[in-house]
Amino acid sequence: MNPLESLRLAWRSIRGHKLRSALTTLGIVIGIAAVIAFVTLGASLQAGIIGDISPDDQRNVYGWAADPDTEGGPLAGAQPVFTDDDLAAVGDLDEVEAAYGYATIQTQAISNGEETVAQGNGLIASGPSYIREERLAEGRQFRQGEREAVLNPAAANQFEENVTVGDELTVTILGGERRTVEVVGITDTSEGQSPFEGFESSPRVYVPTDPYYTEQASGLGAGGGDDGGDNESAGESGEARFLAIIVEAPSDDEADIDAARESATDYLESDRSDASEFLGDDLAVTFRTSTELLQQLQDVLDLLRNFIVGIAAISLLVGSIGIANIMLVSVTERTREIGIMKAVGAQNRDVLGLFLTEAVILGVIGAILGTGLGLIGGYVGAEYVDLPLVYPLEYVALAIVVGILVGVLAGLYPAWRAARTDPIDALRYE
Amino acid sequence: MATAETAVSLSDVRKTYRIGEPVHALDGVSLEVPEGSYTAIMGPSGSGKSTLMNLVGCLDTPTEGEVVVGGRAVDTLDDRERTRLRGTEVGFVFQTFNLMPRLNAVENVALPQLFQGIDRTERRERARDLLERVGLADRGDHLPNELSGGQRQRVALARALVNDPAIVLADEPSGNLDTDTEAEILDLFDEFHDAGTTMIVVTHERHVAERADRIVHLLDGRIERIEELEGDGAVEPASRTGSSEPTEADSE
Ligand SMILES: Nc1ncnc2c1ncn2[C@@H]1O[C@H](COP(=O)(O)OP(=O)(O)OP(=O)(O)O)[C@@H](O)[C@H]1O
Ligand SMILES: [Mg+2]
Repeated sequence: MNPLESLRLAWRSIRGHKLRSALTTLGIVIGIAAVIAFVTLGASLQAGIIGDISPDDQRNVYGWAADPDTEGGPLAGAQPVFTDDDLAAVGDLDEVEAAYGYATIQTQAISNGEETVAQGNGLIASGPSYIREERLAEGRQFRQGEREAVLNPAAANQFEENVTVGDELTVTILGGERRTVEVVGITDTSEGQSPFEGFESSPRVYVPTDPYYTEQASGLGAGGGDDGGDNESAGESGEARFLAIIVEAPSDDEADIDAARESATDYLESDRSDASEFLGDDLAVTFRTSTELLQQLQDVLDLLRNFIVGIAAISLLVGSIGIANIMLVSVTERTREIGIMKAVGAQNRDVLGLFLTEAVILGVIGAILGTGLGLIGGYVGAEYVDLPLVYPLEYVALAIVVGILVGVLAGLYPAWRAARTDPIDALRYE
Repeated sequence: MATAETAVSLSDVRKTYRIGEPVHALDGVSLEVPEGSYTAIMGPSGSGKSTLMNLVGCLDTPTEGEVVVGGRAVDTLDDRERTRLRGTEVGFVFQTFNLMPRLNAVENVALPQLFQGIDRTERRERARDLLERVGLADRGDHLPNELSGGQRQRVALARALVNDPAIVLADEPSGNLDTDTEAEILDLFDEFHDAGTTMIVVTHERHVAERADRIVHLLDGRIERIEELEGDGAVEPASRTGSSEPTEADSE
């Protein structure tokens, strides 16, 4: 019997039991939908993150000092050890283009004239080149030592009247002290500029480490007036130590990055650095590029995905058992029909093919519905967290293959039972 | 007809079921069925009629002895060859019709050809032809449960004939039918017989059996006696003479 005929007959008997067939495929639908949804989300997440690393960021290495055994993402277990002098010295190294600190200053609120909005994200303090030129939609980078800030669109648009370049804002930092900042630039994206921030979109205010972090860390309080422009006095006035350091290599060439990373590490771990007094057995300096940090994130995502796929596999297994069960019922129910077919000349393989086809159809329908549902789920999810949508098409193909496979596996035993049915017994069956 | 070859031959066939006490459903049956003959099989319930039909229909194999159908010893064939022989050489008509409930009349009739790999359009054409021959031209699209008992039996009959079998086996084909419908079916049997098909019909009823050339009486799994009937048209001598008259007229 040709496969098309099997398909026609099998489809007919499936249609004869619509509800039963629908319920049978549900397990497969759920399993496949889960896989597709999470894989779509994962792929979109990945595209969203990787897509955000511009070439300039690629030449950055992000460093912090932590217990070497600490596991985790950027800044995990980091301790404040880097001084301004360290930063300057690292910046002067031949292999290094620039080096600056990175810190967040906790805040309570931001005011634009009369209007005040809550701001828990803090101020992100770093060096001017942290906001890369091509990331600026308006204005310019802030300057070190000035009371200037660059805002991202989410931060600029949170006021009734959008903040523009030239506006002056008042920031209330944790503890109630107030700082003024002049907005000198607006970025083109609300997503994070580096792995230190995370990549999600949220309102962010970028400021120079000097004066904002130095006066904060050295406990100078609100006294730091507008004369904070003096770099050296700020460095001397306190023991401002940075949790994190960003080192820019001359290019994003791997050799350059490694050279910058090595010389920075060497310097910081040598006795010449201020950081060295804390380093040693307890703390070690870690430098990572965003790609490497993303890899860590990727590993977490992969782990999560494997977990979901594992759960989905269980669901598929349950689904297969469901199909197998229904097929067995169906074989028993149709014993007489099988007998008739064999009596009029159906070969064992015809009967086998018929029931196997039926199981495969159930599996494939489940896979197709599951794929559709999963894609919708992934789409809604990606929309919701505002990620570029990426459909992993190879998984869609894979899902169909899995559907066929599940059908074959689930249908094999019932179909074999059907094929072996003795026609005389079957015809006598009531 | 006297020179006809043997369509079915059984030699010392035994069929024994062993469920506790062995039951000899057939206990040494030898029978030759000439090609183109019309044989009726009678006997009390449990005498082995259906068992015999299943053997001749290649649905079953004997415990002992040899069954030859269409020149081939059934017990030497493997399952596949036996199935093929069953599909092409014999047409089975069952007392309970045994139609596929979800297939309409045309599809039911065409079913045996499906397993012979015959093309769909060709199958349907042939099925419609046969339905027309059994007088059901207008019922092709009906499901079995939309047909009367007699109509169902005629569909079953058409199905039995679809592969042009040399032998048609009918196990109590009219058991469920009223006299009029029964007569219709039996007339169709006569038609096939006249067309050269070997007919073997199991029945409990004398008047059904009398349409045959001979009646084989079974008792307890053995052939009790074989009753040869005069001519092969004992029941309808009128139609026989009616049909032979013009022939004579032509030859004159
Ligand atoms: N599968 C089986 N297992 C055990 N015994 C069987 C089986 N099939 C038939 N028999 C026995 O074989 C004997 C003959 O059965 P068979 O069906 O041939 O009778 P029959 O002549 O067709 O009777 P009926 O007129 O009632 O249909 C019976 O005694 C029956 O019990
Ligand atoms: Mg019987």
